[in-house]
Amino acid sequence: MVKRSPLYALQKKLGAKFTEFAGFEMPIQYSSIKDEHLIVRRKVGIFDVSHMSNVWVTGDGADDLISLTTVEDASRIGDKKSQYTAILRENGTVIDDTIFMHLDDKYMIIPNAGMDKIVTDWLNKKAEEHNINSKAENVSDKYVILAIQGPKSREVLQKLTDVDLKNVGFFNCQYIDIAGINCIISHTGYTGELGFELQISPTNHAEKVFNKIFEAGNEFGIKPIGLGARDTLRLEKGFILAGNEFAGGRTPLEATMSWTINWDHDFIGKKALIKQKEKGDYERLTCLICTDKGIPRNGCEIQKDGKKIGMVTSGSLSPCLNAGIAMGYCHPDYREKDLVLDIMIRNKPVKARVVKPPMVPKDWAQQNKILTGKLFI
Amino acid sequence: MGNEVRNNLKYTDTHEWVKLNGETAHVGITDHAQSELTDIVFVELPEVGKEVKKGDELCVVESVKSVSEIYAPVSGKIANINKKLEETPETINESPYDEGWLVEIELTNKSEIDKLLDVDSYKKLI
Repeated sequence: MVKRSPLYALQKKLGAKFTEFAGFEMPIQYSSIKDEHLIVRRKVGIFDVSHMSNVWVTGDGADDLISLTTVEDASRIGDKKSQYTAILRENGTVIDDTIFMHLDDKYMIIPNAGMDKIVTDWLNKKAEEHNINSKAENVSDKYVILAIQGPKSREVLQKLTDVDLKNVGFFNCQYIDIAGINCIISHTGYTGELGFELQISPTNHAEKVFNKIFEAGNEFGIKPIGLGARDTLRLEKGFILAGNEFAGGRTPLEATMSWTINWDHDFIGKKALIKQKEKGDYERLTCLICTDKGIPRNGCEIQKDGKKIGMVTSGSLSPCLNAGIAMGYCHPDYREKDLVLDIMIRNKPVKARVVKPPMVPKDWAQQNKILTGKLFI
Repeated sequence: MGNEVRNNLKYTDTHEWVKLNGETAHVGITDHAQSELTDIVFVELPEVGKEVKKGDELCVVESVKSVSEIYAPVSGKIANINKKLEETPETINESPYDEGWLVEIELTNKSEIDKLLDVDSYKKLI
């Protein structure tokens, strides 16, 4: 049974075209992916991301359970802080990447779409096995998640709350009234722009919040944004999409998430990661910008001198660069910056340059105050 | 917007249009097709001189999120390609029946044209 967001009817009214993603029928685009993408880079957009999951982790042992099951030491993450992390299997491969929010004496985890049950069951199983007094509760159906992203996002939301949003720092979270509705706000996002995410419960309040934000954003040119632009926005920044970049079982070392690993505590998968790190010869996620025309797609082979050295896991046209961009796993010998590799698209090599993420810099919109979005590199 | 059809064209059920000009025919994708694809950002055209059979893959049209194969509606030799699309693929969105044509085919079997859909049959499809 395909699920829909409580805002489905509203989205339909706003002209959304829908797609199925991880068991949810969600808007893929409203006007055009390119236009929506550039609106978020230059102004502000609002996304319904209710396909993402919500899991409460509670109890005296909540800290211990999070620390055991993620690569982060939860005792390090104070109240009202959000943290990006990964949940691993014993063999070190990622079950899911997620943000957890520390709110008073409990944590809300935001697993990816369709991962709610898997993550909840995993946490409860580990709590039992390790005799930790903590419980994970899947509350995904009780929340609507809205993301407000773009350079104008703070100004839009500021019109709807008494809390000074300048005091809600990057990766901070707290309870807040937005348009008179109590939500959880987190200064986080998946676009690489200034942005916030709101968790709204009960879900019948969400339409009011959406409409109020839409109204408040009108003077800034706010637009509803679909999953299509969400994907291109995250790819330009080199952000991982779980379904693509973890497919087939990848460790956080391979997925170049080692910066998230807190080695000073014990966690599930740590032994396997130490072993992999010592061996050192593992493939690593690599970002590429095409210098030839062509758009890489998931599954395209990456070659050097006719030899396969990797595989694309995410690829698209970059609306900001107007060039093909890709992320893929490459042999560690072929990841040097500016190295030119071939991405095989329909059996033809398309030249691409290895770059360090982000593929589109933070101040892109300031540097490119042009309206067409065209820029060849 | 997005459902314009033209009386002087023939159509396929895969949303290509064909315009006969004597011994050759221009081929493109319909307004309906461009509007479904939205944001055409890349076009891969065949080489001039290539022989194609009806139903063969003729070219590839990509939007940000999708890759679509365009099939040859008629058999023949590629006489001409719309080179301009390599620089400005969005021309297909802006002008699917005029500036946004894809290829011109020198027909080897003119009777194939008669088997294509007329405007009324195509209208029923979309």
